[in-house]
Amino acid sequence: MAVKAFSDEWAHQFKDEVNKSSVYKAAAKGWKWTVGLVIEAEPDKNFPEPKGVVMDLFDGEARDIKVGTAADAQGCNFVITAPYSRWKQVATGELDATKGMLQGKLKLKGDLPTIVRYTKASQEMTECTTRVPVQWPDEF
Amino acid sequence: MHDAGAGPVARRILSAKNSQPVTYADAEPSAFASMLGGLIEANVASRPEKQKDFNALAARVGIWVTDIDEGVTLDFRRGHLVVHNGLEPKRDITIRTDADTVMNLSNLKIGLFGMPVYYDEVGRGVASKMFQRKLRIDGLLGNLATLNTVTRIFSVQ
Repeated sequence: MAVKAFSDEWAHQFKDEVNKSSVYKAAAKGWKWTVGLVIEAEPDKNFPEPKGVVMDLFDGEARDIKVGTAADAQGCNFVITAPYSRWKQVATGELDATKGMLQGKLKLKGDLPTIVRYTKASQEMTECTTRVPVQWPDEF
Repeated sequence: MHDAGAGPVARRILSAKNSQPVTYADAEPSAFASMLGGLIEANVASRPEKQKDFNALAARVGIWVTDIDEGVTLDFRRGHLVVHNGLEPKRDITIRTDADTVMNLSNLKIGLFGMPVYYDEVGRGVASKMFQRKLRIDGLLGNLATLNTVTRIFSVQ
C-alpha cells in the first residue's frame, strides 16, 4: 500500500527496503556516518514546508531513518539537498542520483572522497527508495 | 614588449596560486567542475603520495561525461590545478565516458608500481567499458604515464 511521501511510514518502509538489500549490505561495509536529506519546499507542488530525513547508517545497516526538520538533516555528516520535485524524480527512478550530483541537481555537502568511495552503496540506496510505493502530494 | 610570464609580479601570482592548490577558471564553476576539483583537493591534502604526484604533474586533461553532456578540463601545473568548465583546447588526454564510469575511475585501486588495478571488480568494469568503446581515451599514445598519474591523483582508494 502506498504511503505519504516523506512521512514516518515512508521512513519505516524505506529503512526496511535498505535492510533487505544484500547489495547495500555489501557495498556499505565500513560506512559509519549519518546522512541527511533536505527536501526543500515547493508550495506550488503541494509541498509547503521543507522536511529533513535523518539516516543513521552503520556498516551496511540502516539503524534508523527518521523524518524531521531540515535543520535535523543539516546536522548530519553528509547532507544532500534538493527541492521536492527533484527528490520525486530520484525516488521514481527518473533521475539517477550520481548524475544528479554531477549536474548540481542534488547538492552534496560532506567529505567527497568518502562519498565517492561508497558510490555503489548510494546507488543501491536510491534503488531502495524506488521500491517504496508512494503517494505524492502533487498528485492528490 | 612586456613579458608578463617572466617578471617578479608573475612569480608572486604563481606563489599565491600555490597556496591554494585548486582554483577555478570560471566565475561560476559547474557542479561537475566543483566536484572534481574538490575531490582532487581532498585527495591531495590527505595523502602524501598523491601530493607528490600532484606536484610533479604538468598536463591538460579533459573529461567529458557523455550522458550528462558536461565536461571539464583539468590543467595540472606542477602543484597547482586550474579547473575549467567544459573542454578547453590543447589537451594532452581526453576521457569520454558516462557518469557511472567516471565514478568507477575514481574508485580504481592502485597496485604495484603505482599502476591502476584492472583485475578486481571495479577494474574489470572499467576495462570492459573500454573494450565496448563506452570509455574512450584520446591522446593515450605517448601519455600512458600521465594517465596513470592522473588516475592515482583522482582515485579515492
